[in-house]
Amino acid sequence: MLADPLARTATTARSVAARPGRWWLPASLVLLAVALFLGVMVGPAGNWGSADWNIIWNVRLPRVVLAGIVGATLSLSGASYQGVFRNPLVDPYLLGVAAGAGLGATIVFAVGRASTTTWLIDPLPLAAFIGGLLAVLLTYLVGASFGANRNGVTLVLAGVAVTSLATAIQAFVLQRNTEVIREVYSWILGRLTLANWGDVRLVLPYVVVSSAVLLLHRRHLDVLRVGDDEAISLGTQVTRVRLVVVIAATMGTAAVVSVSGLIGFVGIVVPHAVRLLAGASYRRLLPLSLVVGAAFLILADIPGRVLQDPAETPIGVVTAFFGAPFFILVLRTRGRSLG
Amino acid sequence: MSSLAFVDLSVRYGRRDAIAGFTDTVRPGEWLCLIGPNGAGKSSILRATAGLVPHGGRIEVDGSPLSLRSSRRRAELVAYVPQSPNLPDDMTGAEYVLLGRNPYIGYFGVESQHDLAMVASVLDRLDLADFARRPLGTMSGGERQRLVIARAIAQEAPILLLDEPTSALDIGHQQQALELVDRLRREHGLTVVSAMHDLTLAGLYADRLALLHQGHVVATGPAASVLRPETLSEFYGVSVSVHHEDDGTVVVVPRRTSA
Amino acid sequence: MKQFRRVLALATVSLVALAACGDDAEETTATDPAATATTAAPAATEEPADATTAPAATEPAAPDEPVGDVAQAIVSLSPTATEILFAIGAGDQVIAVDDQSNYPAEAAAKASALSGYEPNVEAIAAYEPDLVLHDGTTDLATSLDTLGISDWVGAAALSFDDIYVQIEQLGAATGHVAEAAELVANMQADIADAVASVPALETPLAFYHELDPTFYSVTSNTFIGQVYGLFGLRNVADTAEGTSDYPQLSAEFLISQSPDLIFLADTKCCGETVETVAARPGWDAISAVANGGVVALDDDVASRWGPRVVELVQTIADSVNAVATVTAG
Repeated sequence: MLADPLARTATTARSVAARPGRWWLPASLVLLAVALFLGVMVGPAGNWGSADWNIIWNVRLPRVVLAGIVGATLSLSGASYQGVFRNPLVDPYLLGVAAGAGLGATIVFAVGRASTTTWLIDPLPLAAFIGGLLAVLLTYLVGASFGANRNGVTLVLAGVAVTSLATAIQAFVLQRNTEVIREVYSWILGRLTLANWGDVRLVLPYVVVSSAVLLLHRRHLDVLRVGDDEAISLGTQVTRVRLVVVIAATMGTAAVVSVSGLIGFVGIVVPHAVRLLAGASYRRLLPLSLVVGAAFLILADIPGRVLQDPAETPIGVVTAFFGAPFFILVLRTRGRSLG
Repeated sequence: MSSLAFVDLSVRYGRRDAIAGFTDTVRPGEWLCLIGPNGAGKSSILRATAGLVPHGGRIEVDGSPLSLRSSRRRAELVAYVPQSPNLPDDMTGAEYVLLGRNPYIGYFGVESQHDLAMVASVLDRLDLADFARRPLGTMSGGERQRLVIARAIAQEAPILLLDEPTSALDIGHQQQALELVDRLRREHGLTVVSAMHDLTLAGLYADRLALLHQGHVVATGPAASVLRPETLSEFYGVSVSVHHEDDGTVVVVPRRTSA
Repeated sequence: MKQFRRVLALATVSLVALAACGDDAEETTATDPAATATTAAPAATEEPADATTAPAATEPAAPDEPVGDVAQAIVSLSPTATEILFAIGAGDQVIAVDDQSNYPAEAAAKASALSGYEPNVEAIAAYEPDLVLHDGTTDLATSLDTLGISDWVGAAALSFDDIYVQIEQLGAATGHVAEAAELVANMQADIADAVASVPALETPLAFYHELDPTFYSVTSNTFIGQVYGLFGLRNVADTAEGTSDYPQLSAEFLISQSPDLIFLADTKCCGETVETVAARPGWDAISAVANGGVVALDDDVASRWGPRVVELVQTIADSVNAVATVTAG
């Protein structure tokens, strides 16, 4: 115990200013580099040395890059949603993005890919993107009309309702077009099988904008941790922050879902893992989720390519395989430690 | 030091008037304590001042209406300590107090050296330096109460609102908290408005009391004039005896009505 | 505006309630990623010889009751059976066919809204048929039995013999035994000719049969795989034999294998053509793409086991010859 008050203040100041865990970000970047390396090294056409450069450049590399982009976006969006709704079990598909995108994709499959391949732009990602956005818009309209602005619960319930609606319509469409069931399932389970540089170019603008907006708002998510009322009294415009974050996260999610299908678990598992290791402050959580999410999905895609070589294992299956037990583990530790 | 004026303040929840026609001026540096039975409207006045509920009438700080200000500017003027503050278990003490600097940090900005120094100094003065890096979950009730006040102080706002600051504390911590607020208000020249249940403590620390009943002020003035048995009996429906100590402290003691 | 929103919200909720009432349990799992993790296998579509889900019998079941009379009011729920009927001259005895029976044109003219995937027994019975043809993948037989309607099951063929047996049975059921025998004989002859026209190669050509644009293929365990086997071709999908008869291959693998022939069975459903395949990034390195070995098949011809299987065999033979000349020359 230091008696001199000035010295005391200096010590506290140092303790306050020091950012604990400053090395988490560099560590996660190293992880990402390792993941990228492994991802490019390993594949059904052979390892780096033996595989044709044509294959590596045209097929493997865009797939690895896309996996990274999708993983990063889903994790970042998931973490952002968790901040805005103050619930660590929230995933990026919460407000109906998944169901809406799925419905959009189903409609395109049902109308017939054959009749649309002559179009200037591929309607599949477009329909998925629009479907996702419309679903969230509908969720917002429904939730807001029931006073969802005070807390997030009503909005979440509205999301559940919209998801059910979109799923029901999708089931109805599938009923009438049973021959496309396999294609729709394949899309739903998530696929990076067709990844090419075109897909990467397609999603990059949306993902960059969305990520930038979300990262810029991470300090506000920390303020929101004390609840809407206190955050307002501290000068934060809670409704606006929530709206901006939801829009940005939804846009990013809809964009990646439109090219990669529905890959589950990433948006919950990664932020959770990061929280367990690096703490719950959103200031750290958001950038770490981004980087770790990218690494996670790149690594998860490797068994997808290699497990049943040369056959593919859908990546949605791989993430569920690892995600579900992890989830159970998290529930157990959380239940014990923080009650 | 700033003054806080209420002009014909009214707050409605649905069709119910929680507060109507409340007019009062709190002088710079004064401590006004709102008392009254549950549902009298005490919290509503504080929440309206903090910008949490819409209201009719005007609330002015140093003569200019709060409603014209942005929420950030309002937060620079008014610090609000709610009845049950949310203290996330996994947040550290320093992070929590840093939230008090929110009004001074730009929308896309980060805290400055000055903000961090401010947080450090507040933690020291409230004897919470050891908790800078410790999670809130490890702190006791009394320490948490001090921490919440620390955050309010970090806001550097001339007006401090306290909603039932002592309800969850034992008698020792109650005194500590109120002594702390009293000390700080003198050090920083704060104008304090609190809502309290404990009448004796209210009278002990506040300069002036305002007794509210069903949304209206029915008595206002120093403790001795407001805390009278017949007044309290009429509006609280309670039977009390009031004692006056030598040093002027007014003590309210409930009386048993049954034999 | 607030009022409008409430109405909209109420309408949405009502729709959800209505939709939820009409929902089947299996359909609601369609978009829940967690639930679908365990349902990775593709649903059975009109594929010949789905070895993993075909009924135990290797021969199609004969009609329920010995048909003394000839069937005059036939309802066909199997596009393959429809093709057979019309090929043996029994077209006039058909009163209705399912919504997928699109060949020949005379059959398409009798197409109804009946579905072979989700048959509605009442709708079928309304036609008052004396014989119903289906492929045995639903439990329609039980329902028809209850109503006392005869049915004939023509399951997906596992071999050429299966096809011939089915043709002969239908010939007997419709009183066109002679035509059926003639059809079988012609088919056998045509197939033999096609096989003979292709010289044996020292190194067999490698091929890839594409079921859909996400690279689902067939192994040699399937009937269609066996059709290719007639020509001694090497199926690149056979490397994935352990996993499924309909594996999903990866683009990397296909490019590195560089098959000499690529057969597209997803031209009608999904719009794939020789050009779209050539445009896939990295695929121009594949032998088939470089040497004109990409062949667009008719989806239906490639998936049914009726008389048009001869067309398929012929197409394969022509393609092999064409590519063999290119690679040799």
